[in-house]
Amino acid sequence: MRALWTMVGNDFRQRLRDKSVLIFSLIVPLALMGVLSLAFGRLGTGSVDLQPATVVASVEDSGPLGAALLDSLGSIEAMKVTVREVPADAVSSETRTTGAALGIVIPAGFSSALATGQPSTLQLIEGSGSVLETSVLISIVTGIVDQFTAASVTEAAAKLGGVPPDAAAGIGRIAVVGEPILHITEGTVPAGQLSLRAGLVAGQTGLFLLFTVGFGVLGLLAEKEQGTLGRIRSTAVPQWTIVAAKAAVGFSLGVAASAVLLASGTLLFGVNFGSPSVVGLLVLGAAAAATSLTFIVAKVVRTAEQANVAQSIVAMVLGIAGGAFFPIQASGFMAVLMDLNPVGAFIRGLGISAGGGGIAEIAMPLITMWGFAVVCVLVSRFLPDRGARS
Amino acid sequence: MSADRLVKRFGELTAVDDVSFAIRPGETYGLLGPNGAGKTTIINMVAGLIPADSGSVDVAGIRMDPAGIAVKRHLGLVPQELAIYPDLTARENLNFFGRLQGLGRKELSSRVNAVLELLGLAERAGEQTKKYSGGMKRRLNIGIGLLHRPGLLILDEPTVGVDPQSRNSILEAVGDLSAGGTAVLYTTHYMEEAERLCDRIAILDQGQIQAEGTRDELITLTGGVDRISLVGAGRSAAAAEALRSLDGVHRVTDSGGTELILTVTDGAALLAGIVSTAVRSGMTLASVSVTRPDLESVFLHLTGKALRD
Repeated sequence: MRALWTMVGNDFRQRLRDKSVLIFSLIVPLALMGVLSLAFGRLGTGSVDLQPATVVASVEDSGPLGAALLDSLGSIEAMKVTVREVPADAVSSETRTTGAALGIVIPAGFSSALATGQPSTLQLIEGSGSVLETSVLISIVTGIVDQFTAASVTEAAAKLGGVPPDAAAGIGRIAVVGEPILHITEGTVPAGQLSLRAGLVAGQTGLFLLFTVGFGVLGLLAEKEQGTLGRIRSTAVPQWTIVAAKAAVGFSLGVAASAVLLASGTLLFGVNFGSPSVVGLLVLGAAAAATSLTFIVAKVVRTAEQANVAQSIVAMVLGIAGGAFFPIQASGFMAVLMDLNPVGAFIRGLGISAGGGGIAEIAMPLITMWGFAVVCVLVSRFLPDRGARS
Repeated sequence: MSADRLVKRFGELTAVDDVSFAIRPGETYGLLGPNGAGKTTIINMVAGLIPADSGSVDVAGIRMDPAGIAVKRHLGLVPQELAIYPDLTARENLNFFGRLQGLGRKELSSRVNAVLELLGLAERAGEQTKKYSGGMKRRLNIGIGLLHRPGLLILDEPTVGVDPQSRNSILEAVGDLSAGGTAVLYTTHYMEEAERLCDRIAILDQGQIQAEGTRDELITLTGGVDRISLVGAGRSAAAAEALRSLDGVHRVTDSGGTELILTVTDGAALLAGIVSTAVRSGMTLASVSVTRPDLESVFLHLTGKALRD
């Protein structure tokens, strides 16, 4: 074991000294996360800040509902809305020239038409400002009108049922302001879905993990070329410790880099991946899967340069297919293949963890990653070593 | 150490073919041959880096095996490449390989200091080796091999690309080790190094030992013949044909049409006749030289080609 630790320590000293790990495992992915996050803009935050908006309105209705509609718009909590009343024939031009989000023309007889169940037309004019705020305002107006209609229909039904007019009007008001019978509660389900920004952090971590572990086993090829591997093999150390030391270095670097990236992502981009212990298990699984892959790459290439190219290709393919940049959907056999992708499993696991999932919920991603690791190690045992003679 | 009937094949190529030799403590044994002769493959088998297809190697009475540990404590390898870590200092390089060879903390520290002194690197022991000159790297490369005082030191072309001054100090260090009782296996394609250092030499070509012995024993194989070099232009092939018919000329080798190399008995006496024959055959001579037998002559005599071909 002394030889093993000597080799591990020697590798760590070199990696820290040549700065390559720092650059490729931390600086580059963090920079990429930042760039991608900026590129996707505020969509990636998971919540949207609505901008203040102006509504240009004309109220020709003498009843209470037209005024109530405008009052409702002015009291929206999530968005500051300024209502500016103008004559009916000026609404359209004012809306288009002043950057207002919405124009509304409430016709005369609007209140009485609703009260008697008669048809009435409410004119909405979309502004030239933000599409988002305009859409929200239209939805709100539609909702309010639906409530007014519900009250009107309820009151009419009560009258038809023989309810006295005063009582029928009261029933109609209850239909508008009363507590709803059905409640919809928004919750979070641990189903593997991450916000766009959290997905980027998780994806880039998974992708660059595949590069980071390359500093381990693939380093054997570089040592072979510079002659130090032969020299080590001529010393009095068990041969298995040489590969084991490299694997330990790759695995450790992968775990450390992933942990730092996820922690940095949490701090810099305001994302949360849930329980640290659950995330830790996922990182260990992903690092094991990524390290095992380097055993195969080391067997099928002849030189360190070929190894770097092959590892980069493998990392990009697995990273993109796993959703490192954007979620990928597939069906049938391709979906099965993508489910076996350790990067995809890592991201899914982080999604489950972020949604509050525990160790039991991440069992499948963990099994996928460790299964991938076992298969890769077994396959590498049976592959001929193409670089053995070179 | 002893190597017995070593054979190594790479596909269709037989890189080492039935090679046997032995080295006694304090003896320097040279493998002399051109590039591709099989020297490094033999070294790799002796050092346990690759298995032999057949045959065996014993070091200090222990059978060599690529997975063997005890046997490897007795050998130190100095590979042809600069097998050192450029980002580490000389001291860190020595410490690392010393630990792998099983040296304890105290012994390691004293041996590292001793080797750094021996190599003249003590003052710059704390510098990263990527800042070293080629000669300093070569010296460190050798120092790592002898750090744990191996019974057998294997040096694979240790002076390739080294300046004359560093080469001289390397050869002196190897000589001192041998005098101290270390068995040395030394490969080179530099005839002068083999002549200067080695107690016994094996002439190696195409994976086979063509001859083995001390320098003097090998030279007697040539029959005491001299070597005459004719350099020039013109009809060298016709000249070679004519020269082969002269009495006392044993062999004529045409090296690319510009140089004829002759092995002859008593070159001084035959020189005039040889020159006139070459000129009459249409060769325009630029220079003529006569050399007494050396290992180059032995190699030429045994293989029909120059050592550096």
